[in-house]
Amino acid sequence: MPIIIISSDAVQSAEQIAKATADAVGYECLGREILPEIAATNKVPVDKLEEALGKSSSPWRRMRAKRRSQLLAQIEAHVLDRLMADKIVCWGLAAHLYVRGVSHALKVRLVPDSQQEAGRIAKQRGVSEEKAAKLLQTDVRKQAQWSQTAYGLNELDPTMYDLVINLGQIDPDESVRTISGAVAFRKFQPMTYSIKCLAENAMAAKVKTKLLATMNDISVQARDGRVVVTCKALKRERQKKAAAIKALAGQVEGVEFVEVHLINYVIREAAESFR
Amino acid sequence: MSIITISRGSYSMGVIVAEQVAQRLGYSIISRDLLLDASDRFHIPEIRLIRAIHDAPSILERFSHSKQAYLAYIRAALAERASGGNVVYHGLAGHILLKNIEGVLKVRITADMNYRAAREAEREGISVDEARSILEKDDQQRRRWTKSLHGVDPWDSSLYDLAIRIDHFKVDDAVEFICRAVESERFRETKKSLQMINDLALACKVKAEIVDEFPTLGVTCQYGNIIVYTKDKSHGSKLHKHLEAVRGKFSGIYNLEIHSAAVFPPEAV
Repeated sequence: MPIIIISSDAVQSAEQIAKATADAVGYECLGREILPEIAATNKVPVDKLEEALGKSSSPWRRMRAKRRSQLLAQIEAHVLDRLMADKIVCWGLAAHLYVRGVSHALKVRLVPDSQQEAGRIAKQRGVSEEKAAKLLQTDVRKQAQWSQTAYGLNELDPTMYDLVINLGQIDPDESVRTISGAVAFRKFQPMTYSIKCLAENAMAAKVKTKLLATMNDISVQARDGRVVVTCKALKRERQKKAAAIKALAGQVEGVEFVEVHLINYVIREAAESFR
Repeated sequence: MSIITISRGSYSMGVIVAEQVAQRLGYSIISRDLLLDASDRFHIPEIRLIRAIHDAPSILERFSHSKQAYLAYIRAALAERASGGNVVYHGLAGHILLKNIEGVLKVRITADMNYRAAREAEREGISVDEARSILEKDDQQRRRWTKSLHGVDPWDSSLYDLAIRIDHFKVDDAVEFICRAVESERFRETKKSLQMINDLALACKVKAEIVDEFPTLGVTCQYGNIIVYTKDKSHGSKLHKHLEAVRGKFSGIYNLEIHSAAVFPPEAV
């Protein structure tokens, strides 16, 4: 059965519509309530995982960016594993950014009602509606920057989704009907190939989580039990690094062969040559 | 009265979707004929209007404001046609030209670049790479156009009420989504929505009359009360004379004011 992935800047709306859709189609709902489970598995604080899914990201907080990619990889591995069960409505876990090439995943973007959201922010932060509207715009911009930094994708781009629904104009009940109707289309029925793609995404995420515990700037792709890892390395440490990657990646269940592509760390190499 | 605007990239099947929506709902369809309307009415060659609505303004055009003038003509023609209601507009920038109007369903039809390039290559008899390059340039041009003239990114999903990835659905499915959405309460005709579109049509007509002489003005209309905003205090009596002539030309104008050195409200055309 298909999976439904809901993305929105308004967490409350996303949760409400995800739950209503799950009820309507008889699926399980998977949201931020699984963060404690992920935290326990990886022995990290829950609030750090929540922070990793949040907005703040700036180039001068590089250390935090590295930590964020570790935490996001842990979330990604866990969520993809759960999505293998299918018949799931997933929200609030950034799955629209890492479930790629899976044709049985219906990706939906909910654009929040800007007036309602501004009202909520005004009440929550004790500011005027005008000020709240500006804060909302800043939040949306920061969220877009976050998706760009973390996954190299602009989550505001409508081409990333199968459906974009503006909750300011289309009411939640109609939105639920539209999503439930869309997921019944043949296009979203799982096929051998799309299930394989999801399993490969999950395997790549597990390998990435394992490697990111000790390394940085890793990219992982998986296909037919074969894993390709791309990583930056200094000339003098190439052999050692390749061996370490192969050993770590090989520990992940289902990995049959590991191919390592090492890219020269040009800047660090140059910096070290001047020492 | 319902108005549907369908925005799309080239070769995104938007035209077929628009035609089928119009046919199913019994609405009239507005497309390129709008430019012919504007061309006839304001005696401007159609090609200039096409360029105005398609190409981003050059540095020279930014100073001469010629694009703003052509856009005012197109917007006046669109607002007048849309004021009758029950229309589907599938030309460029409908969601921007009819922004701030209640009861307008703004739809975006999107498609994967590979899908679009394959369709263009097949239709034009060119290679897929060539087709992709053409489409990328076209998208870029439209993006620059919207950003430079309206300060928004057309790829921002929040500009639309509904966006549908057409290569993941059938045309019939997209038509079904749009028809169901437009049936909702928010898109039904209300006194307010009718007044808003009539006011927009009147503001656009006034703007179109004066834009040649005064390209940087903003015009708003509320219940037939026209306010012309100008940042330049020196326009004074010349503008006043022009506006008096305009007042006699159109029915429905109750009051006409000039606000000098004022900040333009966002709904000003």
